[in-house]
Amino acid sequence: MGQLILGQLLNGAILGTLYGIIALGVTLTFGITGIVNFALGAFMMLGCYMAWYFTDGLGMHYAVAVLCAVLVTSFAGLIADQTLFRFTRNNLVNGLLVSIGLISVMEGAALLIWTSTPKNMEYVLPGVFSFFGLVVPKMKAVVFLVLLGVILATYAALTRTWIGRAAYAYAQNPEAAELMGVRTKILQSGVVVYSTGLAGLGGALYASLYSIDPTLGAVYILKAVEAAILAGIGSVIGSLFGGILLGITEGVGSIYLPIAFRDAYGLIFLIAILLFKPAGLFAGRK
Amino acid sequence: MLAALALALLPLLIKSDFALTILVFSFLLGMLAVSFNLIFGYTGQLSMFHAAAFGISAYATHLSMSLLGTSFWIGLVLAALLVLFLSVIVGTICFRFRLKEFYFAVVTLAFSEMARLIILNWNSVTNGTLGIILQEKPRIWLPGQGIVKLDGTLMWYYVSLIGLALTLLVCWRLVNSWMGRSFAAIRLNDELGDTLGINVFRYKLAAFSVGNMIAAIAGGLYSFFLGSIEPGFLSIDQSLAIVAMVLLGGRGAVAAPFIGALVLTTLPHVIHLGAELRTIVYGSILIFTILVMPQGIYGSIAALTRRPPHAI
Repeated sequence: MGQLILGQLLNGAILGTLYGIIALGVTLTFGITGIVNFALGAFMMLGCYMAWYFTDGLGMHYAVAVLCAVLVTSFAGLIADQTLFRFTRNNLVNGLLVSIGLISVMEGAALLIWTSTPKNMEYVLPGVFSFFGLVVPKMKAVVFLVLLGVILATYAALTRTWIGRAAYAYAQNPEAAELMGVRTKILQSGVVVYSTGLAGLGGALYASLYSIDPTLGAVYILKAVEAAILAGIGSVIGSLFGGILLGITEGVGSIYLPIAFRDAYGLIFLIAILLFKPAGLFAGRK
Repeated sequence: MLAALALALLPLLIKSDFALTILVFSFLLGMLAVSFNLIFGYTGQLSMFHAAAFGISAYATHLSMSLLGTSFWIGLVLAALLVLFLSVIVGTICFRFRLKEFYFAVVTLAFSEMARLIILNWNSVTNGTLGIILQEKPRIWLPGQGIVKLDGTLMWYYVSLIGLALTLLVCWRLVNSWMGRSFAAIRLNDELGDTLGINVFRYKLAAFSVGNMIAAIAGGLYSFFLGSIEPGFLSIDQSLAIVAMVLLGGRGAVAAPFIGALVLTTLPHVIHLGAELRTIVYGSILIFTILVMPQGIYGSIAALTRRPPHAI
């Protein structure tokens, strides 16, 4: 039993970083452009298919394929930003609805191109680590470490560099930041593109672990929004912890309760947090 | 008034069963869209609970008939009361804690997803993902014929038309009353409304409950006209379809969302597209409406026909 729980803890934490990377995109986009980009799930799906296409279709090395997938997704994000999101800055309801329209378009296109048959990638990195009687596939460990590294690097960039200072300044007072020489238009587009790139990275890594289908984004964006709100929207490091907390609750919860309730934990968390601690668990620095 | 008369006489012109069926669906979804506009357009609350009210009522109507042995109409009333009860609970939680905008949308979404999960997994009662096939038809009293089964598209046409007309009447009366002015005040600035002595909590709850109850009645009728119920009634997609209808039709007039419901229900049958392409077209319409035509079809036409102001 102890091992089972420990195993689920670990699994939950790994899945949690996947929630966390999308949640980070949600948080950043909300902080800088004032909208919640629900289409990040669709960008994650795009990242999945790109990674699959570059490795299985073009025969690239997986690591290169992930990089290419991130580039393609970011480029798609740039197009979406320039044609759509540019017009919905700081308009929450419109931004929400435009991103939802974009989901329909992207999912429909994916269904047309790749059909609804799930795709599986060849095993990129077979084999397992085993320690103390626990078995962790090597690939899962790599995904966990990469995502953790990217989230921490983003945190470092936002707290240690001038880009981060500009972003925080903008989040606090857009006009003042602009007067101080922050190029706000580029900052906003950059954040939207960066968050789609993060979603693409999450997707590209996801493709090596599970089978992929065009509608997988819906679950992940919902979980990511839950994680972001759980942590307190605007908190960078919180989105990581929010994601991991959600992943672990789901993992451990499914030992004791039927698996059907798996998706309910996040919802219950969400309602409880918004009612009793609306600023989130990691409220503080925005 | 003229439009209502035209719609009432329309079956004399259109004999096609197919066209009438589409119109019945448009009327029932129109009830849904018009009632959603009461919450979204007039009171300014982006509720994601509307599809849940619609779906819960469809299940509740059927269950009250099969488990309690009531007639369809009693079942529909019971279902509407159940939805009223749930709306008051959800609404009280949301509005007491002053959840607004995105947070209100997310919490109502969470409640409706939980309702969907319960229905999806309560196999013994709801038959899970497979849904329920509804064999029986509601009975109504007709002058001269006594009590008859509600069968055939023409009868459904008039029942759903009456449903839509009553919905429009209720919403129109509400919006053009002191209550409607309170709704508008809440939409424009609820804190200011509060300081002016408007009980913001009470009116938000009123709009939310009335809207959901109308959705509940539409849900019961819709499921029995369709002949089946499935958990997809409560899905996020269904909620978004309602939002799309309202945005496309327009938020500015009571009947405007019906235009959106009519267009979005008719479109797939007029232009034959595969399911994938239909999704793409659907998403594009949503994006186009928001970015280019934020006033909706009604608003755009009204702006065109309005006389330009005189130059000084």
